[in-house]
Amino acid sequence: MRLDRRQFQTLAMALLAGGLLPGRASAATPADPARLALNRLTFGASPAAIARFADLGKAAWLDEQLRLDPAADTALADRLAAAKLKIEYEAGNDGPNRSWPARSELIPYRYLAASGAEILALTDYATPMSYEERIRPGREVQAASLIRATHAEAQLREVMTQFWHNHFNVNAFRDEVTAANFPAYDRAMRASALGNFRTLLGEMARAPSMLFYLNNEASRASPANENFARELLELHTLGAGNYFNGLYDDWKAVPGANEGASQGYIDQDVYEVARAFTGWSYGDGRWIAEGDEAPRTGLFHYIDSWHDPYQKRILAHEFAPNGAPEADGNRVLDILATHPGTARFICRKLIRRLVTDTPDEAMVEAAADIFLAHAAADDQIAQVVRHIVMSDAFDTTPPQKLKRPFEFLVSLYRATGAEVVSPSLDFLWHLGQAGWLQHEHRPPNGPSDRSEDWANTNAVNGLVNLAFNAFEDWFGAAQFDVAAATPASAATWAEGFAYWHGVLGTGDAGEARTLLAEMDEDPDGLLPRDNPEWNSWLMRTALGMSALSPDFLFR
Amino acid sequence: MADPIVVVIFLRGGLDGLSLVAPSGDADYIAARPGEIRVARKGDGAGIVLKNQAADADFRFHPQARGLSELYGAGELAVFHAAGLTDATRSHFDAEDRMERGAPGAGDGGWLGRWLRAAQPEGVLPALAVGAAAPDSLRGAAEIAVAEDLAGLRLAGGHGYSTAIRAMMARRLGNNSLIGSPLRRLLSLSDVIEARVALDKDGNLRPYVPSVAYPEGPLSASLRTVAQTIKLELGLRVATVDYGGWDTHVGQAGTFSGLVDGLSGPLMAFWRDLGADQQRVSVVVMSEFGRRLKANESGGTDHGHGNVMMVLGPQIKGGQMFGRWPGLANEALDSGADLAITTDYRQVLAELMRGPMGFADTTTLFPGFAPGAALGFLG
Repeated sequence: MRLDRRQFQTLAMALLAGGLLPGRASAATPADPARLALNRLTFGASPAAIARFADLGKAAWLDEQLRLDPAADTALADRLAAAKLKIEYEAGNDGPNRSWPARSELIPYRYLAASGAEILALTDYATPMSYEERIRPGREVQAASLIRATHAEAQLREVMTQFWHNHFNVNAFRDEVTAANFPAYDRAMRASALGNFRTLLGEMARAPSMLFYLNNEASRASPANENFARELLELHTLGAGNYFNGLYDDWKAVPGANEGASQGYIDQDVYEVARAFTGWSYGDGRWIAEGDEAPRTGLFHYIDSWHDPYQKRILAHEFAPNGAPEADGNRVLDILATHPGTARFICRKLIRRLVTDTPDEAMVEAAADIFLAHAAADDQIAQVVRHIVMSDAFDTTPPQKLKRPFEFLVSLYRATGAEVVSPSLDFLWHLGQAGWLQHEHRPPNGPSDRSEDWANTNAVNGLVNLAFNAFEDWFGAAQFDVAAATPASAATWAEGFAYWHGVLGTGDAGEARTLLAEMDEDPDGLLPRDNPEWNSWLMRTALGMSALSPDFLFR
Repeated sequence: MADPIVVVIFLRGGLDGLSLVAPSGDADYIAARPGEIRVARKGDGAGIVLKNQAADADFRFHPQARGLSELYGAGELAVFHAAGLTDATRSHFDAEDRMERGAPGAGDGGWLGRWLRAAQPEGVLPALAVGAAAPDSLRGAAEIAVAEDLAGLRLAGGHGYSTAIRAMMARRLGNNSLIGSPLRRLLSLSDVIEARVALDKDGNLRPYVPSVAYPEGPLSASLRTVAQTIKLELGLRVATVDYGGWDTHVGQAGTFSGLVDGLSGPLMAFWRDLGADQQRVSVVVMSEFGRRLKANESGGTDHGHGNVMMVLGPQIKGGQMFGRWPGLANEALDSGADLAITTDYRQVLAELMRGPMGFADTTTLFPGFAPGAALGFLG
């Protein structure tokens, strides 16, 4: 059947679920509510998500997302169970008679749900083993993150899991222990992503990956190691805006201190918080004293003899000496999780993630009120997210945030229906070229969520390269035959290019003709279907071009 | 002579200046640090003595800093000790932000961004941030190129339809308020780079061939890009290079050795690679803060205050230490814990910008900062 252009356009429009119009030429025009919401609350608008959103409307769609139990997503579980990832290394040794043979195998994920004991075996240096074996759990999380982001039904939870990974940043490959324990860290972020902040904070503080990344596993009296304490205050809870060290050099001078609750912190608080967490360590059989070793659990372990037990004063709260095991640290987390400064800091970041780079302070305050009012609730974070998403600002703020490289890549896969089955890790290198280091951002501040930090030549060119490479076989991340997915009805070049712009919501037949003029090609010539390789490359080019439009680049 | 160039190498994480240029004979230093994170005065791992010491403290370079020591000995590298950001912050991100903006609480953008706006250098590539993002020092200027290497500045380089893709991007996004500016820069750089650098049969840029071999490592890759850009005469005036990993809270000894080796060798190779182009280049090495005098119980050091800065260049009176050494006695320390600051980092940068860079209006670069008496490091 050969369609004329009018018939083709009718068909292409019908292909877009929800009866959505093809995209606009500029992001200045009002955004379609479904794409707007889905680009912020999921890893990209897939045809299925657009249809679901159209069926339910925003409020009911949001409630469904907040309610979804990730454990019930059997399709995703099946995908993760079927996925394989190559492990490859050369023969080596770490001493005489301590060698290992070379290995190159495509094998299933093994460590995503592994116990502490299984993980601990990977960092047992009594066993000769390649570095690649020891860090394999971290690699599995990286590969799985692409599958989850593309295919998870509970998309909002995945978006929030990424938010917390960015917030509580860990470079999974700081060392072998951090990498080996990274699946547990990822599980904790996902489990509490929409839950209770104090619970999440506690999980984070006790996670072996964080304990190693910020060195607290080695912190003992005295002097304590301050690395975790400082970032706990500056990055995880109160934020640098509540760091008053340049203003006050005595704790009593900090506003609120005389009322027993300081509004912010100074270095004296950092020192005291570091003391509170001395002894928060790891159960890896480490030597503590003659005849005393930590248990070999591969889990958090508190070493009382490393703890500085004496009185402390933190944010003007008095801590009595000789508290119960872990009590000092837990009380610090209690104080921080319910501090108004933390509420504002977290809510400002959430609004920045979900709505705009320039959060309105009244909106921050309103969200912080919800955060504090529900501080004890199991769904505290979900309530804050619901409040932000149901605000007028969410609907009226145009898409101005540049998708970050990971979001851009996944949104390509979701928009097209590509299958991420067994991604090789090459995609990490390509994301890295664009400035995105998935679970490998080295400093503890995490990747920036401000578009101005991505508006540079490297990131822009990186997005261009991702658009044209994401569907190449050698990219190794997704399976999607762009040519086969181009309907037979798209017979000419103009129809082929218009089709992919329609799928991504970024242009119409007129745009396709303009493009083909720039390419110096005949818009009415037939697509080279008799030359499959060329035709396939051409349709990948059409898809890449269709993605490089404000309507697809901004969220 | 061609226009002068400044290269700023930022050591992110907080360099332990007390281990890079160590007061190895200072009794307080010896008392505060266990042997493995202190530079020794004798034995195999002894530090390398500096001539022209700032004080009687037997200052020694870390034993891995052979390249730095050689440059210092040749009179090309100047050392400033007890320098830094006088603000009390001990947060990495706060300190980096304040330092790179160079105008606490006032002015917008960064100090190099303000220089670019004021000096308006001509040329297609006046400012290059090597890496994936521009540092805060370059904020506020539009002329910045950000890339790991020159290939990263070719828009859709190597694509069969690259010309059409460039036209499409310019049409769709050239006026975009957020990415229009970097996009236009990419478009102009793509053409120039493809005209200046030969392509191989696959359409890729032929790799840069330096005049000396660089050691392996991340800083070498960055500095090779800077050297290539300088030699291609693309109008470079400012380059920033990040070298991270200096946040040595735990097990500092081994990590620090590797980091110093990774700084010293590549910097030396870069300097030799420049050859005659050295004449127009100055290099600054700086970090957000130094580290605590006293070690912690995990074999590391926590965030401190005063630190070492270094400047390399032909106009520099190298082979000398500049600034007043405050000592490490308890009453001389900042907050009783950290090396005090006697030289504001802006003093060093302002003199460098006024001297070799020929930009006298340093108030524009550092609003609210009144430079003190010249440190005397310019010939």
